[in-house]
Amino acid sequence: MSLWDKIQKGLHEVTEDLEKTVANVANQVGAVNVAPSAAAQQRAAEWQMALQQRRLPSFVQERLRATAAGQRPWIQSGPVAALLMERSHGIHPLGMVGGNCWYHFGFSWTQGHYDGWHQAIDRLRLEAVAMGANAVLNVDMRVRHGEGEDMDYALMGTAVRIQDLPPAWEPAVATVSSLEFVRLLEEGVVPVGIAIGAEYDWYQPWGGTMLNQANQAAPFAARYWNMEIPDLSSFQENVRRRALYNLREDGRKLGAGVLAHTQYSQMFRVNNEQGEGFLCRHIAIGTAVSYEPSRAPQHELLPTVSLGGPLRSFRPHRKDLL
Amino acid sequence: MTEEVIAPHAVERLKGLRSQGSHEGIFTSDLSVNEFVMVRKAEFEPLGLVVGSCIYHMGIQYGSWNQNMEMDVLSQAMYQARELAMSRMEQEAIILQADGVVGVRLEVKRMDWDQDILEFMAIGTAIAHRSGAPGFKGVGGKPFTSDLSGQDFWMLLEAGYRPMEMVMGSCVYHVAHQGVLRSMGNIGRNTELEQFTQAMYDARELAMERMQQEAADAQADGITGVQLHEGSHNWKPHVIEFFAVGTAVKAMEDADTRVDALRPQLVLPVND
Repeated sequence: MSLWDKIQKGLHEVTEDLEKTVANVANQVGAVNVAPSAAAQQRAAEWQMALQQRRLPSFVQERLRATAAGQRPWIQSGPVAALLMERSHGIHPLGMVGGNCWYHFGFSWTQGHYDGWHQAIDRLRLEAVAMGANAVLNVDMRVRHGEGEDMDYALMGTAVRIQDLPPAWEPAVATVSSLEFVRLLEEGVVPVGIAIGAEYDWYQPWGGTMLNQANQAAPFAARYWNMEIPDLSSFQENVRRRALYNLREDGRKLGAGVLAHTQYSQMFRVNNEQGEGFLCRHIAIGTAVSYEPSRAPQHELLPTVSLGGPLRSFRPHRKDLL
Repeated sequence: MTEEVIAPHAVERLKGLRSQGSHEGIFTSDLSVNEFVMVRKAEFEPLGLVVGSCIYHMGIQYGSWNQNMEMDVLSQAMYQARELAMSRMEQEAIILQADGVVGVRLEVKRMDWDQDILEFMAIGTAIAHRSGAPGFKGVGGKPFTSDLSGQDFWMLLEAGYRPMEMVMGSCVYHVAHQGVLRSMGNIGRNTELEQFTQAMYDARELAMERMQQEAADAQADGITGVQLHEGSHNWKPHVIEFFAVGTAVKAMEDADTRVDALRPQLVLPVND
């Protein structure tokens, strides 16, 4: 919502319901007058300092330490069956850890996604390290939309310690639950983190796109023709390829391959002083997995036909058939 | 205990050591985790995501109001644009020296600024046999293409077939309008609208025919996982596209023994 919209909305409210507006304004003024307690002020100051210095506030550090040491109850997200893994594979839940980053897009929404997620992942790792974890499982990725050109990138997951292993300096971050995590470990695959590849670019065709050129050459006929617009195709293809290249490079930093579960691309046409321009962007987000390609999976597989689940789901809604 | 159950590489990684500097195992893919494991089970390794784009201006064709007819200009456009996107994706797979591409998705999107411009995208994961075994390439020694998932790919190989090529057929059809007299005559009667039935039949038949012909040209034995999509890409209400797509497959030499060795078990899950 732009400033102008806010003013307009305010004016609208005044004319619609004067009494309610007065109460509303009074409430807001009242809120300003109540000073936050000294404790709350100190807490806020500590948060600010910690975020600037890329560390955790002392009270968070203390709670995480106490939780990891068993002085406070452990916390676990995900399916309850995951508790079985404690016995079978020595995976102990420590506590919930999180990280977020509310980010304003100054020049690029696309680059913002890359920076925002990475900042949030770093903060999640910080909490996991404070607990002496080996991995963070069941990580949930979430975004919240701001009112303008801003967005919050949030992560939440369960930090776990694996029996007999020393704490990791760089805990693995996995979006799967511990049941799946164990299944992957047994196949020699470790989900280690989240990789992002993003790219955007502008294209300003000087003499117009190939379609415009065709339209100029044959003013009335060209719109009846089937034709590819090759310059736009290759522009878009290059943006996608560079985004995927960035994804691979991001994976390389983790020494891992990437399984991209989310891909998003968009193309806009913009009219400016120079004429017609195009903006294209592509974002890919994936789970980074580390494994040894030369080592074949060991487990036996048994093909089964389930009498319970659907084979190939033919489950149309009633309204589609009636 | 942990170290006995879990692979040594995994243990190393969980201790916090990275396999940095090694170029092995660094790839991109849009497979799910389960699909990834199944592709590896099938003795293949993912190499990278491959994409192809095509932005296409559709010509204009008018269907005559009261006639069932194929809109051949649009049919050709839909087919040619998909083919271009697919071939660009294939080119990338050739550069990666892949044996083939699995999990191919073909997407069509209309551009906001012009209703005659459609965007076609083909995207899939290029894979290669782990030990470089020959005999998996598709038509003419090019990488095969397939829209099968990782699980389906494993199952296909287990059953003694190999994928050859993703085959498709497209037909854009104009369904005739009913004349006023005709619709007046139907008031109060339960009756089949033969003209409409016939239009659907014919359009579907044409799409299937074309897909089958493509598979025959690729010298395939059959087509599996066929899906029939119906769509109207912002065309007039009586214009509809039938699009048939599937993976053409060919039996391997030892197909019979492989199939005989397969003994799928029936299971009845009791947890839901």
